[in-house]
Amino acid sequence: MGEDRRQAARAPEVERVRIRLTINGEARGFEVAAGRRLLDLLRDDAGLIGTKEGCGAGECGACTVLLDGKPVTSCLVLAASCDGHAVTTVEGLGGSPGTMHPFQRALVTHGGVQCGFCTPGVAVTGAAILAGGHQPAEGARLLAGNLCRCTGYEKIFSALEAAAEEVRRDE
Amino acid sequence: MDVPVQRVVRPRTLDEALVMLAEQPRSRPIAGGTDLMVQLRDGRRSADTLVDLDGLDLAGVHEVDLGVEIGAATTMDAIARHPLVRRRWPALAEAAALVGAWPIQCRATLGGNLANASPAADAVPPLLVADAAVRLASPSGERTIALERFFRGPGTTVMAPGELIVAVLLPAPSAGRVVERFVKVGPRREQIISMVSLAGRAVVSADGTLHDVRVALGAVAPIPVRARRVEAHLEGRRPDAATRREAAARLQADIAPIDDLRAPAAYRRIAAAVLLDRFLEACHG
Amino acid sequence: MTSHLEPVPGPLGGRHPRIDAAAKVTGSTRYVADLALPGMLHAALATATVASARVLGVDTAAARAHADVVAVLTAADVPANSIGVIFGDQPLLVTDRVRMVGDRFALVAARTAEAAWTAARLVGASLEELPGVFDPVAAVADDAPLVNGASNVFRTFHVQRGDTAKQAKRAAVVVEAEYRVGGQDHAYLEPQGCLAIPEGRERITIVASCQCPFYIQQGVASVLGLPLAAVRVEQAPTGGGFGGKEDYPTEPAACAALLAWHTGHPVRLIYPRELDLQATTKRHAMVVRHRWGADRAGRLRFAEVETFMDAGAYVGLSTVVAERANVSAIGPYHVGAVRVATHVVYTNNLFGGAFRGFGAPQVTWAAEATMDKLATRLGMDPVELRRVNVLDDTRRTICTGQRLRTPVLAREVLDRAVELAGWDGFRAAPPAADGAWRHGMGVSLVLYGCNLHWGGQRLDRSSAVVILQADGSVVVRVGLTEMGQGNLTACQTVAAAALGVDPSQVQVWQPDTTTVADSGPTVASRGSLMSGRAILDAVRRLRVRLDPVAAELLGCRPGEVELAGGFARVAGSPERAVAMQAVAKEMSARRIETIATGWHRTKARRFDPATGQGAPYEFYAMACHVARVAVDPGLGIVRVEEVTAAHDVGRVLHRDALEGQIHGGVVQGMGWGVSEELRLDRGRLVNPNFTDYVIPTSADAPRITIALVESDSEAGPCGAKGIGEPSFIPTAAAVRNAVCDALGVEVDTLPLTPPRLVEALGERHPFAWVVEAATRPATEHEPATVGPRA
Repeated sequence: MGEDRRQAARAPEVERVRIRLTINGEARGFEVAAGRRLLDLLRDDAGLIGTKEGCGAGECGACTVLLDGKPVTSCLVLAASCDGHAVTTVEGLGGSPGTMHPFQRALVTHGGVQCGFCTPGVAVTGAAILAGGHQPAEGARLLAGNLCRCTGYEKIFSALEAAAEEVRRDE
Repeated sequence: MDVPVQRVVRPRTLDEALVMLAEQPRSRPIAGGTDLMVQLRDGRRSADTLVDLDGLDLAGVHEVDLGVEIGAATTMDAIARHPLVRRRWPALAEAAALVGAWPIQCRATLGGNLANASPAADAVPPLLVADAAVRLASPSGERTIALERFFRGPGTTVMAPGELIVAVLLPAPSAGRVVERFVKVGPRREQIISMVSLAGRAVVSADGTLHDVRVALGAVAPIPVRARRVEAHLEGRRPDAATRREAAARLQADIAPIDDLRAPAAYRRIAAAVLLDRFLEACHG
Repeated sequence: MTSHLEPVPGPLGGRHPRIDAAAKVTGSTRYVADLALPGMLHAALATATVASARVLGVDTAAARAHADVVAVLTAADVPANSIGVIFGDQPLLVTDRVRMVGDRFALVAARTAEAAWTAARLVGASLEELPGVFDPVAAVADDAPLVNGASNVFRTFHVQRGDTAKQAKRAAVVVEAEYRVGGQDHAYLEPQGCLAIPEGRERITIVASCQCPFYIQQGVASVLGLPLAAVRVEQAPTGGGFGGKEDYPTEPAACAALLAWHTGHPVRLIYPRELDLQATTKRHAMVVRHRWGADRAGRLRFAEVETFMDAGAYVGLSTVVAERANVSAIGPYHVGAVRVATHVVYTNNLFGGAFRGFGAPQVTWAAEATMDKLATRLGMDPVELRRVNVLDDTRRTICTGQRLRTPVLAREVLDRAVELAGWDGFRAAPPAADGAWRHGMGVSLVLYGCNLHWGGQRLDRSSAVVILQADGSVVVRVGLTEMGQGNLTACQTVAAAALGVDPSQVQVWQPDTTTVADSGPTVASRGSLMSGRAILDAVRRLRVRLDPVAAELLGCRPGEVELAGGFARVAGSPERAVAMQAVAKEMSARRIETIATGWHRTKARRFDPATGQGAPYEFYAMACHVARVAVDPGLGIVRVEEVTAAHDVGRVLHRDALEGQIHGGVVQGMGWGVSEELRLDRGRLVNPNFTDYVIPTSADAPRITIALVESDSEAGPCGAKGIGEPSFIPTAAAVRNAVCDALGVEVDTLPLTPPRLVEALGERHPFAWVVEAATRPATEHEPATVGPRA
């Protein structure tokens, strides 16, 4: 009986897939399990722990990253599907190490950060809003996928407006 | 944590994909994955092999002879922003912008929304009022089926094993003064599964009578439904108070809502009546 | 003074960047799920999915046989199998009886998280289901199934003041009501998690997402049978708490500690969101019964309140929550006679625990609803009725008989909020319906007792350590935690102000139980107050050694030294100054002790628990919220458009953090009021996800206008009072009153979901008739079909 159980309990063979993708501007290669999520690839394989897991079901937005420039919840993205694509995480928003994106700076100076767990996702979506030419007023709708339980969103909105102003000035 | 699948294959062409789906036992196609990844995680759907459609060229809105064809892999975000869709099928554009939140809309595909076959799928009522058809492919060829005949029940469709949604066809809308709306009801404004949704479309004649009236609802039956009794009643009538009241009564036979954790059946009946009434009021204006 | 005021000079009341913001916004802050160690194992829990059953056996063979599993533990493996915070009514792992969904059968440690959770699902428990009880009123019936012990009523708290029967005779109107106030999940964005690191069989370190490292220290020491000194708890950066990381994290910490103890490996336990929603503590659901009366002039003559608090299957902190609910039941009003009874009732529902407001929001919701009902019956404006009864400097005795210290600012916060919200104009000329939307405005007041209740006085102390580094920078350690509310920044601000240095010179590090003494829990809006006072004490002690050195460098007497602007200087002669850096360097050179400890405890108070008379809290903060809503009566949808929040805050420590607390409290309060519903089916949560447990998104956030009523409070550091909880408590009640104003019906059940509002309208809803029409015999209508015929 013990042996039977052992057989039954053994996990089925999971194939591994080789993928190449660009993460924060750098070409990277990985060999991952077929069922790997992009979120786990980033956190566990690439060591980019800035992307957070808050629900694992695409409901909270803490794992938001840019995939070819578009915000996506990385807990719902199959890593294998990212072969040949470009991913930007919160660590890469500023373009180079030690540099912050204007929205990240604005979140700091406008008090838009509290517990910080939603913050990487908020920063990524906010950067996409600004890059996509949206008006800051659309922020309320476009940020709705990034749940925040601390700030009441008010100072995130102020930060988005301030960053939009900065981006406009720089253009 | 990884989702429990054993293999991912990445076809380069549609034909390759169809062969893989046919040959690999317990295989499923995956595009955006926004529904499937959660279902795999929770064991609500399972697969040994995922056939990743990313390498196929199935995205895009293309004008065809009789209307447009929207590729199955077109994202909700792309649909919501597409100028032609916004102009000619505004209810669809509106609904696409209300599927999940923006990061979901940037990943979720139209084909996935149909294949998932949720009674509450937001893109479906607007497609039903557009008289949309679904183009399906399999190794034995293609077939096109009216969307109204595509769903069988919650989570199930008429697709045969190995069949893949390739595109959705929208025939050119009828001419004239058209009123078209999509409204969904939920306990918050964004990122919410509909308690009830309604898409309506009607041509309003100069004398105020309605023609070619189409009404479809989500989350009020095991599948999204066209309100055929309502449509028949409204044809050629002016949507005055009496007509609207009769439409609300007839609507009740077109829908079969249940009590579930999102809303009681009684609420769904009332809310559906309100949404219909407001649509007709808009047609009256 | 409003939030738009210019910051005062120096760090106090200013807006300097939070100490933790840059690291958080770039993703470099390491939460517990971001920590991994070589050899680390992953833990998982096998939990009950039914709420009431006898346990016949637990079979772990399949789990043990699963690949990569290292250990599976059951109750037999626990040295001391009890985890209750105060009472020993909860086992860490169940033995013979399941009392709630989420009760643990077994713990698993495996090499991967996948293997651990898969194996946990393979643990087989053979159960015999037993009848359960799922309503706190039903649970007090004589024939109700017993949940945990000899009676389902665990305890009853009272307030008795005056003769309510006699006062009732003077009442012209009496309101009787029963309110059903639902629970709430904290929905912090970071799920529960911890990492246990054993050092042989001698000692253990726990790194945890938590509010109360000292609770974890005690819980783990007790379960493992270790001295407190052998358990070190370090608070990891914590992604939100709201009370949900006060009492509960001791349970996962004890689980991880046990597995680490048995395997000798570090063990990390991270809750999947579904388990976090399903198994952790909740805001208590309450049934609140009222009988309140007022005379013709609107003066409250008597108030009788009976509350049934759904404690769930284990008491946890419920008695402490009940203490606050009990004395908060009347609000900041003067009432002739008061009778309050607050019952702590066992059921087989998920257990209640700490949650922002701690019992006060539920009874405030009821009290403010009753105030509006009285106003309606009397034909008075709701604000006018409150003005007639509200406490102020001339009438400042609360229902426990405690005379409040002046200034009593309840009337001020009411007046400020009402004026800023445009109440009078709204009432005089209510906005016309805008399409489907009808408008309403509602008001709510709160009397908030700061810090811990009399019953928890023994915990009401706080420790701090201040170290002046040789370069003039400063290290601060405190025992109270940062969970997002800004405690690190508040402590930084207080230390910087006290030492006269720039905040950037002060680093406040995460709490660690080995660096400071037990400071009690980070709860009850006491974090900044208690840490701040301890820091001031430490700085005072440091200056005993610092001032003489500075005086020598300055050529003055030690008593003349003042610290400001980064300098030690001679009071009255600011040009005679020496940089703090030079003073620190000199102290270091002379080997003078540059570390100082600080301590603060609250004043002892008298209170009689039998009658609820005395001083339950040391001091109070008042708040008033006015909500303006739009309601679509056809669909029952509520949009909270604006909340005006007036708060009695003492003095502002850090303006952004303070405003952030108010913004967050308002939105969380709004969510509780309108959309967040714990849907329990025989004790099991059927919406354990963020799709169906609906918290507000950015699209739902109202405009929030803040009015700060400042005063010099003696209680907190630099005059500050707590803000964490008062920011939450009034919102849902103000929203409820606004919705009822818009709809013209009374709704006495929280939350105000669309189906509930449509149901409340009843036959007044223009389409109510369709429900009956749909069930008419088929002769009148064809039978419904569910779709096209294929």
